[in-house]
Amino acid sequence: MQGPLELLGLSRRFGSLVALDDLSFTVPRGRVTGFLGPNGAGKTTTMRAIFGLTELDGGTVRWNGSAVGAADRRRFGYMPEERGLYPGMLVGEQVRYLGRLHGLSDHEAAMAAAHWLERLGVVDRSSSKVEALSHGNQQRVQLAAALVHDPELLVLDEPMAGLDPTGVDAIGEVLIEQARAGRCVLFSSHQLDLVEDLCELVVIIDHGRVVTSGEVGELERGGAPRLSVRVEGDRDGTWAQGLPGVDVSEVKGGAVRLVLHPDADSDVVLDAARRAGRVLEFAFARRRLSEVFREAVHG
Amino acid sequence: MKSLVYALVAVVVVLALLRRVRAGRRSQPHDLPGPVARTLGNRRPLGDTGLVAAREVHERLRGRFFRVITLILLAVVAAAIVIPTLHSSSRPVVRVGVVGTLSATQRATVAAALAHTRFDGLITAQRDIADARADLRAHRVTVVIEGGRTLLVETAASASGSTTTMTAATAIATALGLENALHAAGVSASQAAVIARARPLPIHGAAARPGGAARGTSVIGLVFIFILLTQYLTWTLFGVMEEKTSRVVEVLLATVRPIQLLGGKVLGIGLVALLQAGLVVVFALVLADAVGSDLLEGTAPTVVAASLLWLVLAYAFYSWVFAAAGSMAERQDQAQSMSLPLSVPIIFGYVVGLANSGPGPASLFVKVLAYLPPTAPFAMPLLVAKGEVTWWALLAAVVLSIGSTIAVARFAAVVYERAVLRTGHRIRLREVLTQQR
Repeated sequence: MQGPLELLGLSRRFGSLVALDDLSFTVPRGRVTGFLGPNGAGKTTTMRAIFGLTELDGGTVRWNGSAVGAADRRRFGYMPEERGLYPGMLVGEQVRYLGRLHGLSDHEAAMAAAHWLERLGVVDRSSSKVEALSHGNQQRVQLAAALVHDPELLVLDEPMAGLDPTGVDAIGEVLIEQARAGRCVLFSSHQLDLVEDLCELVVIIDHGRVVTSGEVGELERGGAPRLSVRVEGDRDGTWAQGLPGVDVSEVKGGAVRLVLHPDADSDVVLDAARRAGRVLEFAFARRRLSEVFREAVHG
Repeated sequence: MKSLVYALVAVVVVLALLRRVRAGRRSQPHDLPGPVARTLGNRRPLGDTGLVAAREVHERLRGRFFRVITLILLAVVAAAIVIPTLHSSSRPVVRVGVVGTLSATQRATVAAALAHTRFDGLITAQRDIADARADLRAHRVTVVIEGGRTLLVETAASASGSTTTMTAATAIATALGLENALHAAGVSASQAAVIARARPLPIHGAAARPGGAARGTSVIGLVFIFILLTQYLTWTLFGVMEEKTSRVVEVLLATVRPIQLLGGKVLGIGLVALLQAGLVVVFALVLADAVGSDLLEGTAPTVVAASLLWLVLAYAFYSWVFAAAGSMAERQDQAQSMSLPLSVPIIFGYVVGLANSGPGPASLFVKVLAYLPPTAPFAMPLLVAKGEVTWWALLAAVVLSIGSTIAVARFAAVVYERAVLRTGHRIRLREVLTQQR
């Protein structure tokens, strides 16, 4: 992957804890990049490093080929994991203020704040205090604050956590729209189905290092072949437990996903399923992103 | 005329403030077509620091707390100025009963004698001496003049006679005795009137000494500095803590440098403090002029100016410390426990200042405190009120204070930068100083 945002050899320790360990990846324009990793993998530290919010022991963050400076960061938009808004400030004034801090004139900031609040469906709450808004609406306001200055790079830490499907759709649409407009979009999430839907690229990190990265489609096509099998009356997939030549990848909604060993025979699996009951589904399947994640993190 | 100027200044300041707050509320545009073209790099004169300060000013002025505190301060200042003037204008009334007749000259003499001793006189005719004695016993009259030759009081020149009675009786007796003697000597009525208006010559000390007005003003100034300082330092402490706990600081620091954010907050709250102090002072000047208070006479205006100057210097010195403390706290109780030791020098300076605000020269201890930046805001205005400081000594204290403020601000900025993004526990100073951000 090539892109204007480059993270090169980032290292950061907190006492004995290694948060970032020679972490490197790039974020291209025009596509939504998912940033994945288990809790404590170093995602938030990485995002903070992009904005200079944490000092690095080593490595550099580059934008368009040069080390990121204050002027560059003014053109970045950031939505931290722990939402940050003044609870007692009016919504419209708050977004406008953040626009001003990013270099917009008062008029421009007012126009842009009104536009984004309208776009995200909270314009009717412009004159409300942030603390009076629901969690979902606060999330929308937070996104408006990250977008108000029309940033070239959007970095969003868990932007959809705790949102209802309508909120997820609204924010997802905006992220795709921003990417299509040529922006760099990097966002982290534990909602892997969502990432699968929204992202074309993913970077998966663990213990401060990149363990897998690439296009979602390619990653899904890679890895060992797998089967998706559904047997009537066995929602827990007990029939597949201990079956030789396969590993149970996940059991979801009665469907068992099995990873075939190189020497495994799918007919053996089909016979085992038939013995357990009527086979409702038996198909070769692509890797899901959740499986890519698990295999990358747990090996 | 002076009152009018003060009143105009006050009205202009208040109107400008209201306009600013209303303008902020009004500008909420709706129904706008789409994203606007960016002109990044569009800055204000003070840059990001100015923007942060402007937000602080706007939010603080909009809050109910500011209005309530301002009204309370105005009420306290009004009481401090008006009540003493009410007290000084209500002079005791001496009722003088007259048996027989008093000539016009004698009446004028009695009135002048009472006025000279700061009494208001009320002369009433008595039917006879028996009635006069009865009225004396019933305290309906204080003194009785019988035939212009004799004075009667309830108990003559005894310990039981009240101070008012004996002072008034002595003054009337002396004046009427003199008037009778002048009359006997053949002095004309007009000449006697001139002599009756005779006043003792004024006595001046060889060394100029400020009066009670400056001392009174300095006490009000001390209380004023203490209240405003406590209020605004608390705002700074909790303001920084609020930005940390609400995590908005992470969004802000993604585009603004820590020193700009910290400086803007300190500057913004400081401007609100100065504005409030200015409003109160203008109000005090107008009111004192209108009611004829002596609190702003003599060297008192200098004391007012010194108090304002040291309020600004005190806020500048302490605000950085309280802001740094706020960046280390995660909860309100943590912030409160941290503010307590930081407030000790403020309380100490205030108490020592009040204890030494009476008449008499300042102690050596107060003179030393006047040069120490943490206590100078309380001790130095006191020395100014007592006339015990030269301009160069005052300048030296100001320079010391500014120098210390710069050093404190640098240290506070380091603490703030390292502590404000650390969450999850109360940050210790050692932790801040030994680890990076």
